[in-house]
Amino acid sequence: MIGNDVVDLKVAKIQSNWQRKGFLEKQFSENEIRAIEKDQNPFELVWLFWSLKEAAYKCYIQTEKKRFFAPKKFNCVITSKNDGVVEYLEHTFKIQYQLTKEYIHSWVVKEGIVQKAFYIDNIKKQSITTNQNLLNNFSTDTVIRKDEFGVPYLSRQNQKLPVFISTAHHGNYGAYAIFK
Amino acid sequence: MTKEVLIAKLKDIVKPYVQDDQAFNNLSENTDFIKDLKINSANLVDVVLDVEDEFDIEIDNDSMEKMLSVRAAIEIIEAKLAAK
Repeated sequence: MIGNDVVDLKVAKIQSNWQRKGFLEKQFSENEIRAIEKDQNPFELVWLFWSLKEAAYKCYIQTEKKRFFAPKKFNCVITSKNDGVVEYLEHTFKIQYQLTKEYIHSWVVKEGIVQKAFYIDNIKKQSITTNQNLLNNFSTDTVIRKDEFGVPYLSRQNQKLPVFISTAHHGNYGAYAIFK
Repeated sequence: MTKEVLIAKLKDIVKPYVQDDQAFNNLSENTDFIKDLKINSANLVDVVLDVEDEFDIEIDNDSMEKMLSVRAAIEIIEAKLAAK
């Protein structure tokens, strides 16, 4: 299984107010909140933690087949400027991330994973553009479908392919991950 | 509070975060916040906080975990109001 997430930092600034009362407490552990408060760039760390949690959650539900909203239970630690670890129950997810001035892209580490983040000019076409960029890795008769849990998968001539995929988009950024 | 009033209040709350207007116009108990209304998951917590403010209730973590649809939200709000 695989999971990835992207955050458009410009949009995150407008779309959410992380300083809103209760916002941090609902989603972050005490350790995470302490790290955010100490950080030189708390805004960035809020969204980095958030992105790591989201990537791990997406990976988890690919096998567990249930949806829920419990960001606080996904505990994050940043281990280097490109790596982090997320723990949820008895599961540990190693995450890699790319943090630029414009966006954060994070993905669960797997051997041989293909991942990419990209700029999307037309915000109304985030979903189509993201899917098309992922599909460019496969033959033209391949399509993306989603199961009832919102987990995407690849299909060719109505046959599910043995490949794990994850898509994400936010604002002007899209991203995908492929794991065979 | 009747279910209709509750749904109307909930509709007002989610409106600023909705990214699919057609699904919003057709909002019913079966509407899913993420799959149908395309609410960004980062904004789900805003929905939870707004619900707490509007109804003067506290949504604990276990309840929040299930709050992915209009139906689930209504069940949670009704239970919390009844327990007040």
